[in-house]
Amino acid sequence: MLGLLLVPSFASAADSLPAAVQRRVEDALLKPLVAKEKERSRFSRARLPPRERRVRVTQTTTTRDASDREYVAFAVDVRFGDQWEDNDIVGCAYPQTGALFVKLGDEYRPADVLLGKSGDPAPGVCAPAKPRS
Amino acid sequence: MALGAAFITASSFVYFNHDELPPFVIEKLPLRFEALWLVSLRVHVVAAIVAFPACILLMTRALQRRARLHRWIGRITGAVVLFALVPSGVVLSFEAKGGPFVSAGFLLSGALVAWFMVKGVLAARRRELGAHRRAMLHVFAQMSVAVTSRALLFGLDAAGMSPDVAYVVALWCPVLGSAAMAELLAGSFKRMVQIHGLKMATFLRARSVARPIVRVGR
Repeated sequence: MLGLLLVPSFASAADSLPAAVQRRVEDALLKPLVAKEKERSRFSRARLPPRERRVRVTQTTTTRDASDREYVAFAVDVRFGDQWEDNDIVGCAYPQTGALFVKLGDEYRPADVLLGKSGDPAPGVCAPAKPRS
Repeated sequence: MALGAAFITASSFVYFNHDELPPFVIEKLPLRFEALWLVSLRVHVVAAIVAFPACILLMTRALQRRARLHRWIGRITGAVVLFALVPSGVVLSFEAKGGPFVSAGFLLSGALVAWFMVKGVLAARRRELGAHRRAMLHVFAQMSVAVTSRALLFGLDAAGMSPDVAYVVALWCPVLGSAAMAELLAGSFKRMVQIHGLKMATFLRARSVARPIVRVGR
């Protein structure tokens, strides 16, 4: 969690925002996830790892949440056989801090939870600020 | 089966590492009653680590020859199954991935284990060894689902089946198949096959596989 939070803005001038977010999700979430899956026993009732994952950044511009922080939504698709299954992981990235959150049920938690770290729900993240009346 | 039990035991230690959430727990989040579910999971794992190898031991001829030892290990195993394995399994089944159909599969398997364990214990107390063997074959058959189901999950994944479908298939096929196999081994399946007029060749083939196992079970 700390590792994900202490990373400075990852969207450099050279990268477009979606490309930077995609790289961030791949480096901070998918690569560690694959490494973790290689260690674990396959003789388990837990879902076996997919053959392939791909990141889709579903926004081209940032959205502001209730705390006035900018975020970008992303989704991870997986392939088990020949078919791709969309939205296996849904989450958002905060370009300013590098923080990643993933949706579990109706709530968002730090993405590290998928790597086995305990992470409580983070209220208010990845949700657009309500328009002022 | 013993090898499968050993694999399951080895892969279960992760449930007792309090610093890390295992993948099986992560994919269940968010849980309605997280604390109860986690306790049930750990009780279920410990109970299975004790009960499953004990069941394998109890099925061996070596232990069946030592009646006193067989009785005591049987009593302990029966208590673990009825008061820890099945109740914790019931709690876990309500959060099973795949929804009510998968929950029903786990509940059916648990019900078969509990029903036949009680029947088996009562039969043993009445010295009805034939009925005891039949009941315990059913208990063992349902406990073997832990191994066959995981093996099937592995095979279906290799075949490229969607994990959601594979999870349902890899639960219901072993549950029903194991119940049928237990009946086959207990002898009553023979009559069923004759009634339904299945080809005798299929039956004989199954019997040629089952016979040595029955012999071990005696």
